[in-house]
Amino acid sequence: MSDIPTHDVIMIGAGPAALTAAIYTTREDIDTLLFERGVVGGLAAVTDKIDNYPGFPDGIDGLTLADELRKQAERFGAVIELGEVTNIHDEGEYKRLETTSGDMRAKAILIATGSDYKKTGAPGEAEYYARGVHYCATCDGAFYRDKKIAVIGGGNSAIQEAIFLTRYATHIDLLVRSTIKASDVLQKELQEYVDSGKITIHLGTTTDEIVGKDNMVVRVDATKDGNKVSFDVDGVFIFVGLLPNSQFLVPLSVKLDEIGFVMTDQHLQTSMPGVFAAGDIRSGATMQIASAAGEGATAALKIREFLEGHVKAA
Amino acid sequence: MVKNITIFTTNTCGYCQMVKRYLGAKGMTWEEVNLDEHPHRQAEALKLSGALTVPVTVVTKQDDSQEVIVGYNLARLAPAVA
Repeated sequence: MSDIPTHDVIMIGAGPAALTAAIYTTREDIDTLLFERGVVGGLAAVTDKIDNYPGFPDGIDGLTLADELRKQAERFGAVIELGEVTNIHDEGEYKRLETTSGDMRAKAILIATGSDYKKTGAPGEAEYYARGVHYCATCDGAFYRDKKIAVIGGGNSAIQEAIFLTRYATHIDLLVRSTIKASDVLQKELQEYVDSGKITIHLGTTTDEIVGKDNMVVRVDATKDGNKVSFDVDGVFIFVGLLPNSQFLVPLSVKLDEIGFVMTDQHLQTSMPGVFAAGDIRSGATMQIASAAGEGATAALKIREFLEGHVKAA
Repeated sequence: MVKNITIFTTNTCGYCQMVKRYLGAKGMTWEEVNLDEHPHRQAEALKLSGALTVPVTVVTKQDDSQEVIVGYNLARLAPAVA
């Protein structure tokens, strides 16, 4: 018998999908360990306010929702390890995982590593990271009290975070490459800040370069309707879409789609038998917290069936 | 050996919670500087880290040498407080 720590299920990630799955598996007495390399709660935990998760008529801040999900999973016996899974070996009945806490084994695995904010790739973006370029408004917004900033993006995240940043910044230039694609409710809320002069929307505006001086951002150069424009700002917050956290899966036999999201069958099982995926990391995911939680519940039930021998490999 | 730890945080920062959670699980104590409550100390955080971000964790060793960890970076935080 191997002396490698062994669990029924190891979940990679501890965002809404994995935490929900863990609530279900632990309530079934399935021994469950979660690995989280970043924030418990995932991107939800660094989102200012969540208005579309059911059960919270006045909305809930992301950090609180994440903490409540964690407490609920831990209440039934889920264990969250702060660390990273670097490799998975399919050894038949068990999968062996290489982790920052040493090797571990599990009968089933749930990949729920979620996604992270995409970069624009504009010159200056990498150079001025954390010195004027940011991807987390709830973390770094406080540094822009009484300053001018730009927010790049036109989706739900960009609008939500731009509104959050108005509590610090004197003015925000919202640079949107095409048109605003945020929900109607968010657009209506955004309009209030536009009317009050706090936010100015620049549609059809492509960011060309983030320009710095003395190690800090001072300006964003862009193109609007074919004309060069500049925005004098102290900082830039970027929310231009999501990229899957699947780099560690690339050399494995878990099939990914062309962007890098994990492909699954109708049981949420990947191409590696006994390895499931749920939430933002899954190809076809809708990138919503409510659907991540729903997929987590489904994955947990399918994992239970797999452990009982009912779900076969695709 | 760690002499003391200071963490610069803000109210809404999820990564700050993770640093505190990690240190708490290790049985460690720290001084927290909340930049929402003490905005005048932002310059101090910037000077230490060179970055406009939190968390910034300053680990002072017994010989008074300091290690500054920007963000929630377990690969650096874990050995710094070991």
